[in-house]
Amino acid sequence: MRLVEEFEAGLEAPICITWELTYACNLACVHCLSSSGRRDPRELTTAEAKGVIEELERMQVFYVNVGGGEPTVRKDFWELLDHAAAHRVGVKFSTNGSRIDAAAAARLAASDYVDVQVSIDGATAAVNDAVRGPGSFDTALGALERLAAAGFEKPKVSVVVTRQNAGQLDDFKAIADRYGAQLRITRLRPSGRGADVWDELHPTAAQQRSLYMWLLEHGEAVLTGDSFFHLSAYGEALPGLNLCGAGRVVCLIDPVGDVYACPFAIHEEFRAGNVREPRGFEGVWRDSELFAELRRPQSGGACGSCGHYDACRGGCMAAKFFTGLPLDGPDPECALGHGAGLLAARGAEATIPAPAVDHSRVRPAAGPARGRPAPVKPSPGRPARAGGAAAARPPAKVCDEDPLAEFLAAGGAARSAAEA
Amino acid sequence: MDPETGLEGRWRLHPQVALRPERFGALAYHFGTRRLSFLKSPRLAAAVRGLEAAPDPTAACRAAGIGEGELPSYRRALATLAETGMIVPARGAFLSDSENNSPRQVAA
Amino acid sequence: MGSAPDGPTGPVAEDEDEAAAEQDLLVEDVSIDGMCGVY
Repeated sequence: MRLVEEFEAGLEAPICITWELTYACNLACVHCLSSSGRRDPRELTTAEAKGVIEELERMQVFYVNVGGGEPTVRKDFWELLDHAAAHRVGVKFSTNGSRIDAAAAARLAASDYVDVQVSIDGATAAVNDAVRGPGSFDTALGALERLAAAGFEKPKVSVVVTRQNAGQLDDFKAIADRYGAQLRITRLRPSGRGADVWDELHPTAAQQRSLYMWLLEHGEAVLTGDSFFHLSAYGEALPGLNLCGAGRVVCLIDPVGDVYACPFAIHEEFRAGNVREPRGFEGVWRDSELFAELRRPQSGGACGSCGHYDACRGGCMAAKFFTGLPLDGPDPECALGHGAGLLAARGAEATIPAPAVDHSRVRPAAGPARGRPAPVKPSPGRPARAGGAAAARPPAKVCDEDPLAEFLAAGGAARSAAEA
Repeated sequence: MDPETGLEGRWRLHPQVALRPERFGALAYHFGTRRLSFLKSPRLAAAVRGLEAAPDPTAACRAAGIGEGELPSYRRALATLAETGMIVPARGAFLSDSENNSPRQVAA
Repeated sequence: MGSAPDGPTGPVAEDEDEAAAEQDLLVEDVSIDGMCGVY
């Protein structure tokens, strides 16, 4: 069996998982895949999180991709990093940089098993801050500077490719080079708040083509989060393993312990279970109906007869789902245009699924519906604050500040007491 | 590394490598290099696990049930793992060789 | 870098190709970057 086929059938344990530690975030990026902003009162406690780490160790999950929200706003962030290292689970975490001060940078430089990724979505403050908020570009570069000064080796600079930044790829590479970092560019999906801005932000077909050519040329040095396999239909396959690993090689654990097939698919349709169940994460990974279904051989549906199916595998499940396209058909950004054709042919009344949870602090009054004219430019929300200070205005809910404020949830007080 | 002469003496899994059994063989992940390898044979995985206890990689292969005719392929596979740092020569002063009952010093 | 052997496989040649593939690909380096884990 080929490697791809073995992976598609599912593994004994994930190779890695995405773990969103909190829905709290000091930024309000317009395209946030997890609709983050406010902490959820039901978020895993420190003890529960450590339990998950120990379970991952038993299963031999090799590493976790930690994010959120902004994971560093959790008060136990460093404690959890240390716990993972002590339990042979590698950590790669993503941050907007707001809490990477000199001390944090030094601490990271002294650690062997932590990889750090700083997010930017523009090679200039103008392009970046339009998506991530005023000051966020400077915050990110400041973090990269401090990491470099502390001798942290090879952080990553991670970019979501948009219509507005697709022409800046060389500039992103230059920024990464400047800070001794590796560049990572990933695909924008219509997930979370991304659904609201996808029409305006996702790259044009022409930009996709250019992106593909650029990746062919720079692919060895640039990471892609394995997110551009749908572009393989343009020609030769891109470096990396071109397949969707959701529920087979990877999955997501969200801040309240829900297990989803992937971080772009936070919806009941793709929820496999919760780590708080008696069977735990391992039981969910091994026995959930959803994952069993994803591990069955896929025919490709309408794409199966396309000559490029072998390379593109029908594209991204989440991209199809959150644009209201059928899962057994083309990706909305299908290189051959089949997805765009379907979207255009579909009526304006098509239903777009909403994400399962929304922790945004600022929302547009009404999101755009597909097929209707896009609204005025998206709001970037509250400005980022360098140095990671907490919210300037009083929090609407206690959970904005206190990770253990679970009194709103049933049994939360008991959990908090047990944790103390 | 020449598969014919490179794999002498006792070898072992690099201490920073996690070897996880899978239906098709095993996955090996190196925490230092972040490298991930796909071992496409349960017997290869068994040979790797048995490296440290065996006097040399060829003996480990035989112990894992690999026949004479298949040895070249498996030695090549082990050579690849050695090239990528997943397996390393076992350091150590003296090892009591259970087959020969004689101490053997293995070069670092 | 992980890659699948490509090229046409006819019914007659398939067994031989697979045997050869078995021999040469007992170990394969896998390159994944989180598999769409955005982080």
